[in-house]
Formats: sequence, structure tokens, C-alpha cells
Amino acid sequence: MAEAIQWETSLTTAKARAKKEKKLILMDFYNDL
Amino acid sequence: MEGHFTPLQIDFNKNKNLVNRFSVKWTPTVIILEVDGTEHHRFIGFLPPDDFIGQIMLGRAKSEFDLDHYGQAIQCFQEVLVRYPKTDAAPEAQYFLGVARYKASHDAKELKYGLEALQRDYPMSEWTKKAQVYGLTP
Repeated sequence: MAEAIQWETSLTTAKARAKKEKKLILMDFYNDL
Repeated sequence: MEGHFTPLQIDFNKNKNLVNRFSVKWTPTVIILEVDGTEHHRFIGFLPPDDFIGQIMLGRAKSEFDLDHYGQAIQCFQEVLVRYPKTDAAPEAQYFLGVARYKASHDAKELKYGLEALQRDYPMSEWTKKAQVYGLTP
């Protein structure tokens, strides 16, 4: 079974995690209509 | 996806600072970013799974290209073409594959080869139009 994606909700936190893991950031702007 | 990316979801209605900072006008908008905030790629709208993944992989390839890592970029653009050849990401990947090969080799023939691949596989693409001028290279 596939693991659930661990979405970040803060750019600051995402940057820290991406820097530590040497990854890019995939930022998804969404809107709950 | 998490192999190469840290996924971040931003509520358009609750984060106006980020919405303005990245000039987001509609959702969904997906942006591929460097840790320092440098933008490499973005796309707007809901996409079928293959198209979505193709765009994400294209974004990764463009990040390597932007960093002048042409060997890595060439591999990533080729991966888009092999795995998602029927998506809209593919002709753009073919275009930049030719450019990355040219930048790596300084051989203008690579641009012409890129155009020939576009004309063969994606004759109706805007990327084929954009590469037409490379047909003039000797």
C-alpha cells in the first residue's frame, strides 16, 4: 500500500525540510470552492 | 514524488502574502522551487495523472538545466520523453533536451537534431514552432 504524502503547510518549514533532504519544493496553491 | 520534492500545500484564500509574492491568480497553481525561492517551473489547472507527473518531472529537469547541470538535465528530459511521451510535457522536454545537449557540447547540430525530433514526434506543438529557426543551422 502506498504511503500517504506528507504535505507541509508552511513555506518556512518546507524550506527547512527541503534543505535538509536536498530536495526541491513542490508548492501547490489550492482553493476549497 | 517525495523522492525529489518536499510537497507543500498553500490555501489560496488564507495565504495572501504568498499568493501575491508568487503572483498566483488561479488554482490549482503548482510551482517547482529551489530552497532559496528560485522558481523553475509552474503550471495551472487540473491535469490527468500522467500529465501531472510529466509536468513535475519536467520541472525537475528544468531545475537541473537552470543550475547548468546539463548532464543531469539531459537525463531528466529523456526520462520525461520515455515515460510520458504522450503528455504536453514531452514536446517541451524535447525542445530543452536539444538545448541542453547544445549547451553541453557547444555543437549547434544538437539544436537541429532537436528540431528534427520535434518535427517527427510533435509536429503540431508550439515547441516545434519555437525550434524552427534551428533548421537554419548548417
